[in-house]
Amino acid sequence: MASHRPDRPEHKLTINRARPTASVVQPSSATGAPSPHTPVGQRSLSSIYGSPSSSYRSDDDTVVLEIGARYLRAGFAGESSPRCILNFGPDEQRRVGDYRQWDPEYSRKRRKRKKGQEWGQEHELWRMDLRDLDLGLVTDKLERAVREVQHKHVMLDGRQKRVVLAMPPTMPKPLLSCVLNTLFTGFAPHPMGITLVSTPVLAAVAAGLRSALVVDIGWAETTVTALYEYREVLQRRSVRAGRMLSEEMGKMLTREAAKMVGRPEPHGADEVSFDEAEEALTRVGWCFSREQARQHQSAQDFPAGTNDALDTSMSIPLPAADPPSTLQIPFKRLAEPAETALFASSTLRTDLDDHDQPIGLLTYTALLSLPLDVRAVCMSRILITGGVSNLPGIKRRIIQEVSALVAERGWDPVKSYGSALRNPQAILRERDRNRQSDTGPLPAQSPGEESSGAPAADTPSLPPAFRPPERDPIAEKLHELNTKGQKPPSLASCVALRH
Amino acid sequence: MAQQFPYTYYACCVNISSSSSIAQKRSSRVATAHEEDEDRTFDPRSPRANYSLYPLEHLLYCDDCQQIRCPRCYTEEIVAWYCPSCLFDVPNTQVRTEGNRCQRNCYNCPICTSPLQVNPLEHSSHLAPEGSSGASYFLGCPYCNWSSLDIGVEFAKHTGITAQLAKLKSARQSQAKKERHERAENKDIKDTDPPNAPPTHDDLFTNLRSFYKDTLSSTNPVNPLSFDPTLYNSPPSVTRLMNLYAPPSAKRAKAAKPTPMREAHSPSEGFLPLSPTTEDATIARMAQAGWDGLTSTAQRVQQQHPTTKFVDDLWPVQTRLLTRRAKRCATCRHILTKPDSKISSTRYRIRILALDKIPRLSIRALAAHNTPHPSFPITVSSTASSSTTASRFEYESLRPGVMTQYLLTLHNPLFEPIRVTLGTPAVTPGNLASRVTVLCPQFEVGANTDVWDEALNSSAALSSKSKTQPGDAPIQAEAGKVWERGRNWTSVVVEIVPGFPGDTVVEVPVFVRLEYEYEHPDAAVFEKMREEGGAKVLEVPELGKQTREVAFWTVLGVGKVAGG
Repeated sequence: MASHRPDRPEHKLTINRARPTASVVQPSSATGAPSPHTPVGQRSLSSIYGSPSSSYRSDDDTVVLEIGARYLRAGFAGESSPRCILNFGPDEQRRVGDYRQWDPEYSRKRRKRKKGQEWGQEHELWRMDLRDLDLGLVTDKLERAVREVQHKHVMLDGRQKRVVLAMPPTMPKPLLSCVLNTLFTGFAPHPMGITLVSTPVLAAVAAGLRSALVVDIGWAETTVTALYEYREVLQRRSVRAGRMLSEEMGKMLTREAAKMVGRPEPHGADEVSFDEAEEALTRVGWCFSREQARQHQSAQDFPAGTNDALDTSMSIPLPAADPPSTLQIPFKRLAEPAETALFASSTLRTDLDDHDQPIGLLTYTALLSLPLDVRAVCMSRILITGGVSNLPGIKRRIIQEVSALVAERGWDPVKSYGSALRNPQAILRERDRNRQSDTGPLPAQSPGEESSGAPAADTPSLPPAFRPPERDPIAEKLHELNTKGQKPPSLASCVALRH
Repeated sequence: MAQQFPYTYYACCVNISSSSSIAQKRSSRVATAHEEDEDRTFDPRSPRANYSLYPLEHLLYCDDCQQIRCPRCYTEEIVAWYCPSCLFDVPNTQVRTEGNRCQRNCYNCPICTSPLQVNPLEHSSHLAPEGSSGASYFLGCPYCNWSSLDIGVEFAKHTGITAQLAKLKSARQSQAKKERHERAENKDIKDTDPPNAPPTHDDLFTNLRSFYKDTLSSTNPVNPLSFDPTLYNSPPSVTRLMNLYAPPSAKRAKAAKPTPMREAHSPSEGFLPLSPTTEDATIARMAQAGWDGLTSTAQRVQQQHPTTKFVDDLWPVQTRLLTRRAKRCATCRHILTKPDSKISSTRYRIRILALDKIPRLSIRALAAHNTPHPSFPITVSSTASSSTTASRFEYESLRPGVMTQYLLTLHNPLFEPIRVTLGTPAVTPGNLASRVTVLCPQFEVGANTDVWDEALNSSAALSSKSKTQPGDAPIQAEAGKVWERGRNWTSVVVEIVPGFPGDTVVEVPVFVRLEYEYEHPDAAVFEKMREEGGAKVLEVPELGKQTREVAFWTVLGVGKVAGG
């Protein structure tokens, strides 16, 4: 809040910079108006960080919608969970009067992927590649879902509604206009307005934070967004996310099914459908911790009997297989898909492309490319959200990966110095000295500087955080100039001068 | 398809927006004339067709617009809320606060979603408590045998289950909270301790909410006596303008940095830090529980918190309320249906169905002519006895490349005779190019007059074609002639040659256009009103006979080509 001192010192005032909102109308006499005015509603005082104010405003009819690639969540503001979560699977996209999904035989039939379709494509509402996306179809799907929300779950009728739409911050414009069109026509008669809020910001608000590094592991991609005071500072993305994970789970189950029948290579009939893979993933899938992953990898080379509590076997029924079968899979193997898809632990670092960085590395590079101050704030505030974040063990793993990377590399953006095998600190210092000698050659300083090179080389192990701050002659001079004839400065100005 | 062959779908709202992706739009310059034709054939196999095809029974009709109305072109208004399980009415004001759920004793099984029953607990077993003061009822599923005893829930009374459940839940939560507090106070903060249950989602949410409320009100103390005319006595837009044109010094003063709000620090403020031990415990519990101890996707969606992982944590689901809705035409706002608001009555006050306004198209194979049509299982026919002997026509295995004759019958629900024109593409769109020929595309269908007329008139006058007698020579359909005609129905022959490749459903789009002479039923009354009231009566519909015209696309599902 901006606190503002007007010319007359007897009035203290806080300015409301938030959007004007409907609130209790008070007669102007109550506020002591000297002249007759139409009574203007005294705006409720809410912070500049507007969103929480909705909780104590009358938030009756605020519908909150979150639309992702595979699910639509809808609910009311001020409630702890959404009223409904609708998917965009093929069962929702049938003709009216097509009741085949209620046929008892339906669950026993395995539905094959259509030719030319990617894994799970018919379960998606949209994909970000708009080149061969039928926007009309997206509208149709959305329209049907919004109608269902309206009539089955929200059940607000005729009343004016405020709609809050949570969306990823980078949305293709055609898709966004598609969504807005549907909402404006779908929420009959008319919504009062649609407020767009970006999902990383909402995630931070929901965690009670103002700045955070939001790791959103979604369906098509993982995005890492750095927030600083509710503003998005930086975003990094990778395709290692839900779709890859689910496909990996499907591949593993297919291999296991083939193995059970006795075929060396998976056959067409063994191929596990999307629904089966999805069910197995959400039901029994999990994620190794870092040590477990290392143990598991070494155990593959030297199979050794461990007396672990996790060394049980999980039976996964496949009722749609022909004939219906039950897979017996060691519980530890169910963590393998996450290992391959999200952390790429068996892939060489050099084989990774820019778009498929493993999540740990992605988080680390995002942190690394942040400005120093923002990084300091975000480092301790890593939020992990998105559908895949429900996978047990994944949050722990990401944190472990990031801290391992930090321990290994520090905060040095240069991964490898190649042939420059000298201590990078020393090189930096030398460069620093060269620059200083260029700007102001002061002969008196040179002997001192030469001697200062030696202790730096002696103590390379001391992390920069614990070293005494370096003295900057220019800053000191400025400081002196500023404080000349003034009161001792506050802490804030000192900080400002340092940078 | 799930529907049994043969079937008919009616299309509505086809041309809302042209279906084109960006790629198509880019290439549209080349194919403009071809693709952007207004009268292009409706393609039943396109993915978008699923959203505009309906069985006739699902459609309404707007008398004023003279058009079919589907869920996309009518708006709905809720008339009444009720619980489908106990059929009790819920007043409008309560619906929202109660979360659209029944607040009585209606619960659904968290495992199989069937309604739960309140059963008395028998004390004869070892479960008998020492004193008989204990709980003596539980919720049980009659289908899958789940019972609330599985999650340790018993009730003292058989009524007010919701209140009792809520009390139980809050008691459990406060117990867990107390334990957490004790742990936090007694022991040092160490992660090596066995994990205590993390605070529930609801707890965290309420904590966070109160935290935000407190912080916001403390950082911005509301002072009702503070007064600044530039701010409070002018509309916000004026304030903004003043701000814009204020001298720079004043502006700078206003743009002073806002005092940052505090962040949440502890679970009591809704902030939950990650604890690796909790995740470890979850994984260990998963390994122990096995496939059957973990919840399925369908079960999770039912729960209030869709992150419920274990079957032991499932909570009975309150029955969701249903609504009765009136429907209005989105274009002219006329009411199409209006149900009675009383839950016990199934009557409609207003109901204009497409079924009563639009001719019903039904198709069946001519070879199966004598067997009753699936839609009309009971047909009074002289050849009914022979239907059992006639071989059943296999709609599921049509032979590609072989012509099959079908009989398309139109039933007229209107009280006026109609003139029908049928249009089909010669070759069906899509991969499977089947050739279609309607032998008689233009014909008339009689009015839906009194059923007795047919019986009283001589049968010879009605049927234009002599009925084939069993044992006759192969049926010969003539081009340009109606096959058979009745009181309010007419049949024509359609020849279809299914194309390659096989294993695909054959669907034929048919454009139906009908014309009829229409006279307002109350024309005489209006005439009288006009005579009496002169020019005052404004809303007098057009009188006299007028020609009305209705046109729509239909899709006939005629069968499936056998594997190829």
